[in-house]
Amino acid sequence: MVLKKFLKEIQSILPGLSAKLTWTSEEGSYSQDVSGITTFQMIFEADENSRTLMTDCLVIKHFLLKIIMVHPKIRFNFNVKINGILSTEIFGVENEPILNLSNGIALVVNCQHYVSRPKFGITESCCNRIHPVLGHPVTLFIPDDVAGMDLLGELILTPAAALCPSPKAFSNQLNRISSVSIFLYGPLGLPLILSSREQPITTFFKDTSYFIDWKKYHLCMVPNLDLSLDRDLVLPDVSYQVESTEGDQSQNMDPQGQTLLLFLFVDFHSAFPVQQMEIWGVHTLLPTQLSAILVQNHRVVQDSIQFAVDQVLEQHHQVSKAHQKLQASLSVAVNSIMSIVTGSTSSRFRNMCFQALQAADTQEFRSKLHKVFHEITQHQFHHCSCEVKQLTLEKKDSVQSTEDAHENSSLELLAETRGQAEGKRLERGGLRVQEMRALLSTGAASPSGAAPRRPEPTAAPLTPSGGESGAAHGGASPGGGLERRFTSVLVVSSLSPLCVLLWRELTGIQVRRRRGRGGEGAGIFGRGSKTDAPFLWLSQAHPCSP
Amino acid sequence: MAFAPMGPEASFFEVLDRHRADLLAALRTGGGEHPGRGTRLASSPEVLASIEHVIQDIITSLARNEAPAFTLDDRASWGNMKFEDSVGLQMVSHCTTRKIKSDSPKSVKKFALILKILSMIYKLVQSNTYATKRDIYYTDSQLFGNQTVVDNIINDISCMLKVPRRSLHILSTSKGLVAGNLRYTEEDGTRVNCTCGVTAIAVPSNIQGIRNLITDAKFLLIIEKDATFQRLLDDNFCNKMSPCIMVTGKGVPDLNTRLLVKKLWDTFHIPIFTLVDADPHGIEIMCIYKYGSMSMSFDAHNLTVPAIRWLGLLPSDLKRLNIPKDSLIPLTRRDQTKLDSILKRPYVTCQPYWRKEMEIMADSKMKAEIQALTFLSSDYLSRVYLPNKLKFGGWI
Repeated sequence: MVLKKFLKEIQSILPGLSAKLTWTSEEGSYSQDVSGITTFQMIFEADENSRTLMTDCLVIKHFLLKIIMVHPKIRFNFNVKINGILSTEIFGVENEPILNLSNGIALVVNCQHYVSRPKFGITESCCNRIHPVLGHPVTLFIPDDVAGMDLLGELILTPAAALCPSPKAFSNQLNRISSVSIFLYGPLGLPLILSSREQPITTFFKDTSYFIDWKKYHLCMVPNLDLSLDRDLVLPDVSYQVESTEGDQSQNMDPQGQTLLLFLFVDFHSAFPVQQMEIWGVHTLLPTQLSAILVQNHRVVQDSIQFAVDQVLEQHHQVSKAHQKLQASLSVAVNSIMSIVTGSTSSRFRNMCFQALQAADTQEFRSKLHKVFHEITQHQFHHCSCEVKQLTLEKKDSVQSTEDAHENSSLELLAETRGQAEGKRLERGGLRVQEMRALLSTGAASPSGAAPRRPEPTAAPLTPSGGESGAAHGGASPGGGLERRFTSVLVVSSLSPLCVLLWRELTGIQVRRRRGRGGEGAGIFGRGSKTDAPFLWLSQAHPCSP
Repeated sequence: MAFAPMGPEASFFEVLDRHRADLLAALRTGGGEHPGRGTRLASSPEVLASIEHVIQDIITSLARNEAPAFTLDDRASWGNMKFEDSVGLQMVSHCTTRKIKSDSPKSVKKFALILKILSMIYKLVQSNTYATKRDIYYTDSQLFGNQTVVDNIINDISCMLKVPRRSLHILSTSKGLVAGNLRYTEEDGTRVNCTCGVTAIAVPSNIQGIRNLITDAKFLLIIEKDATFQRLLDDNFCNKMSPCIMVTGKGVPDLNTRLLVKKLWDTFHIPIFTLVDADPHGIEIMCIYKYGSMSMSFDAHNLTVPAIRWLGLLPSDLKRLNIPKDSLIPLTRRDQTKLDSILKRPYVTCQPYWRKEMEIMADSKMKAEIQALTFLSSDYLSRVYLPNKLKFGGWI
C-alpha cells in the first residue's frame, strides 16, 4: 500500500517532469553478484513531444546526479531511445573522493560536480575538492498543524557548508563569494525536491537572511531563479546570487568568485526500529512541509547553519589573509634584495648573486629571484588540508579498516573507492543503513522471495506490460514493442543492495531479475548492454508514436 | 670651573669623594669594565659588506632550492644570559637561536621586514645619512604595523650583524633630559652647556659623536621620572648641590640616555646614583641602567654601568621616615610578579642590600612613589632627603 501510494506521488517527487509516466515493468526482483553489486533495470514509457521529453530527461538526469552525490556507490546508465535512436549517459562517481560526514552521509567532494569547469579551472591553485564543515545536528520540532507527520520519531537537521572551489592556503586570490547553492536531502540521503522550480522559493528560503546573517560578512543575497537544467552540475534546490552591500556591482555574479555550498540533511530517527513506510512517509511529506517545519524551528536551524557557515567563511577569511600576507611579504623581500643588489658598488657581490641564479642581467635576476622565491614558498604552503590527510591515510592504508571511515570527524576525507564505504552508519537510533543492508541482504539471498521486514517487497503494483514483462524474463523482445514509439530508457546498474532499496523506494519501481542473456536487452540498448545482469528499464512512449 | 655656581661646602662631599675613590680603586684592581667586547663601532664598508654577506646567503639558499631563513640570537631567554658583576647582563657566547623562516606563515612577514630594513640601512650607510627609527617606521607604516616592530627588528639586525645601532646609521629621537654641570660639543660642532636653568637639555641622539665633555660634577643623579626631575630643577637642586649632573630617561631609558650615562661614567668616573620609586617598576628601571636589559644584552659592554648605586627611594626609608600608610600604595599582583622576577635574577645575589630592600617591600606588600615624601614637606626631597643621603652615604 505504501509503495502504491509512493508510486502515485512519483510525479510530485520529480515536479519538473511534465510527461505522464507509464511503467512498463510489472514486478521485479534483485540479486547480488559475488562482488556484492546488484544491477537492475527499469523501463518506462511516455508519450510526449520531443521538447518536453528533453526537459524531462534533464530533470531525471539532475535527479540522478543529486542521488549519486550522497550515494557514490550507485551508477546509473541512463539510456534514452527516441524513435529507435539510442543515447546513453552514465552517471557515477566511482573512484572519486568522498567524505564520510559524521552524520553518516558520504558526500562526493569533487568540485567539478558543483561548479562549472571554467570557474573551477581558472586557477591551478584551487583545491579540486570541497571541504565541508558540519553544523551541529538539531532536532526539529514538528508543529501540530503539519498534516500527516504523526510520527514516532524525530527529524534531525544536519547542515554542512563548503566553499567551491576551495582555495588552497597561500595559493590564489579567490576571495569573493559570488553565489550560494543549497542542496536538500531527506531521510537516508534521498534528495528532497521542492514542489516546483517554477514556483517561488518556499517561505523559509525566500528571505535569504532568515537562516544566515549575511550582513556580518558584508554580503547581500538575492534569489537566483535562473537555474538552467542544461548543465552537468548538481542542480541546487535553492540558489542565490551575492551582491555587495556596499553596492559594488562588480561583485555581482563574479564568474571568478566562489560558491558557498550548503547541504541540508534532514533525517528521521526513532528510538524504535523505523519502518520503511515511515521513512517514505516522511520523505513524501517533507517537500511540502519542510518550509513550515524549518520556520517553526527557525532559531535552532539558524544557529546550526550559521555555525557551519561561520566555520567555512572563517577558514576562507584566514586563507585569503594568509595569501595576501604571503604575496605582500614576497614582494617586499624581492624588492629589498633587488634594492641592495642593484645599489651595491661591489661587482664581486653582484656577480656572485647573478651567477647563483644564473641571471645575465638585473632584469633576469629580478624575475628569477621572484620565481624561485615564489616556487619555494608555494611548495611549502600548497599543502591542502585534504592532501595532507590523504597522505596520512595512504600511509596507513594497509591497516585501515572501516573504523577509519566511522571516525567521527566531519573533515575526515576518504579517497574511497567503491566497495570501501562500508560504514555509512547513521548516528542515532533510526533505521540504520547497515540494518537496511542486512535487511536487503536477506532479500538478496532469496531474490524471488520477499524481504522479511519489508512490506510487499517485490509485489509492486506496476502496470503490467506484456512486452516488458517478457523483456524482464528474457521472453519476447520489449524492444520490438517499443521500436515504433518515442522511447526513453533508463538503465540502472551496478548497485549495492542499499541502492536498490533506495531506488525502488524513491521511485516505487520494482527491481526484477533479468534471466536471459543477450536477447531483447541488446536490442533495446543497442550497444554494450549488460544483458547478463538485471535491469530496470524506464521507457516513455510518445503519443505520436505510430 | 668658572661656570660652577656655589654649592655646599667641600666637606659636604667627603663621603662622595671617598666613594669615588673606592670606585676608581676597584677599576684599577681589575674589577672594572672590559672595553672592546660586545658590539663595536663598525666602519661603513664593514656594515655594507655584512649586509651583502647576508644577501649572499639568501641567494645561495634560493639557488639550492632551499627556503632562506635568518638565524637570530634569542634575546628573550634568560637561558641565554649570563651575569658578570663588572659588566651586567650579557649574552652567552653559544646562545640559543631562533629562525625567521621565509616558508613559514608565521614568520614570512618578519623575514620580509628584516630584508626591508636591511635594504634601508644599506642605503643609509652608502649615502652616509642617518634616519631615526621613527623615520623608518613612517616609510611604510602600514607594512610595519607599529613602531615596536621596527624597533625590535633594528635590534635584531644590530645583534645579527654584531654592530651597534649607530653604525647602522639609525638614530632614535632621545626622550631623555640632562641638566647640571656639563658642557660638550656635538658632532656637528654645536656647543652645549647643560648648566642648570629652568629647562634641561635633551640627551643628544648621537652620543658617540659628542666630544670635549667638561664637568666638575661630584656625582650624577639619574632620576626615574620626568616629574621628579622637573621638580628638582624648579627647586634649584642642581645649583644647591653643585657641582652635579642630573639625567632622566623619563621612565624606561632609551638607548641614547643609557649611552650618555655610560659615556659620562667612562669619561669622568664620578659616582652615579639613581632616584626611583620604591616599587618593582622603579627597581627594574634602575637595573636597566646598572646591569642592562635582556633585549640589549648583546651590547651590554656599551650600555651598562655597574657602578650605579641605589640612592632612593628605599623601601626601608618609608619606615625610617614614618611615611604614613595612607601615602603608600598596595602592591598589585603584577607588582608582586615583577618583584619575584627581579629577586630571581642573577645580579641580585651580589646585591644583598638590594635584596633586603626588596624583601622589605615584599613583606610590607606596599610601594611608594617619590612623591610620597611630599607628605613630610613639599620640598623635603630636594632640601632634606637627597642632601642627607648624599652627605652621609645613604646609598646601597
